[in-house]
Amino acid sequence: MFRITCQQASRLLCQQQDERLPFGKRLRLRIHLAVCDACRNVSRQLASLRLAIRKWRDRD
Amino acid sequence: MAPWRAKSSRAIMGYGMPSDIAAAKPPIEFEALAEQRVYLMKIARMELRDEHLAEDCVSDALTQAYERRAGFRGDSSLRTWLTTILKNRIVDLLRKQWREQPLEDEVTGESEFDPLFDDGGHWLQKPSDIPEPAKLCEQNEFLDAVQHCIDRLPRRIGQVFVLREVFGSDTKEICKDMELTTSNVWVQLYRARMMLRICLEKGGFARAHAG
Repeated sequence: MFRITCQQASRLLCQQQDERLPFGKRLRLRIHLAVCDACRNVSRQLASLRLAIRKWRDRD
Repeated sequence: MAPWRAKSSRAIMGYGMPSDIAAAKPPIEFEALAEQRVYLMKIARMELRDEHLAEDCVSDALTQAYERRAGFRGDSSLRTWLTTILKNRIVDLLRKQWREQPLEDEVTGESEFDPLFDDGGHWLQKPSDIPEPAKLCEQNEFLDAVQHCIDRLPRRIGQVFVLREVFGSDTKEICKDMELTTSNVWVQLYRARMMLRICLEKGGFARAHAG
């Protein structure tokens, strides 16, 4: 019952960029990321994207 | 200095004045506003994708800011304050544009279709790793690649994304400002992020391996 697909995980990863996920979704995502390196990569990519945009915005 | 002295000197300075007047900053000079112009143009250009419209919005925002400079309380930075004023100008403009030209293939958010996955919800192409994200984000070439990829997003998807990530609006504000539904904003942000990470897999992310 806690299993989600990569497709669902990628949506949750995006959603997480905009708001705090409810507990159940957060838990499912964590469980998925623990076993899925592809989605862990996406998580890192999204974090890098956000960091890069901040840096781009603030560089003169 | 003895504590009582510090206390009494503060009491004298503040005597008879409301604390916010006692702490008031000198008014903003026009030069200080003008110094932010390059920054404001950079983000306006990314949002509007039109040099002339960006010029108009930035000029309006700076004029408005100067007229209202007494209202700047210094709680946030001058740049943050100006960015909010600029965002309001831009949002008014875009909302009108979007009303006049509704999208043909309206992104509804209802569809489950997603070309990145097979029928079982697995990645068709495995997303690549980034060994050192923090280091990567210090490289100007990478930041240029990010800008390049954002500039090439489908127009409205890019505009929603830039409102979110560059102007710092949250999804509720975007819904309200742009008269979009929540699911529509979610889908546009999702698409933007997936397109950007794929665009960056082609050029930008790979730099981490090289450098």
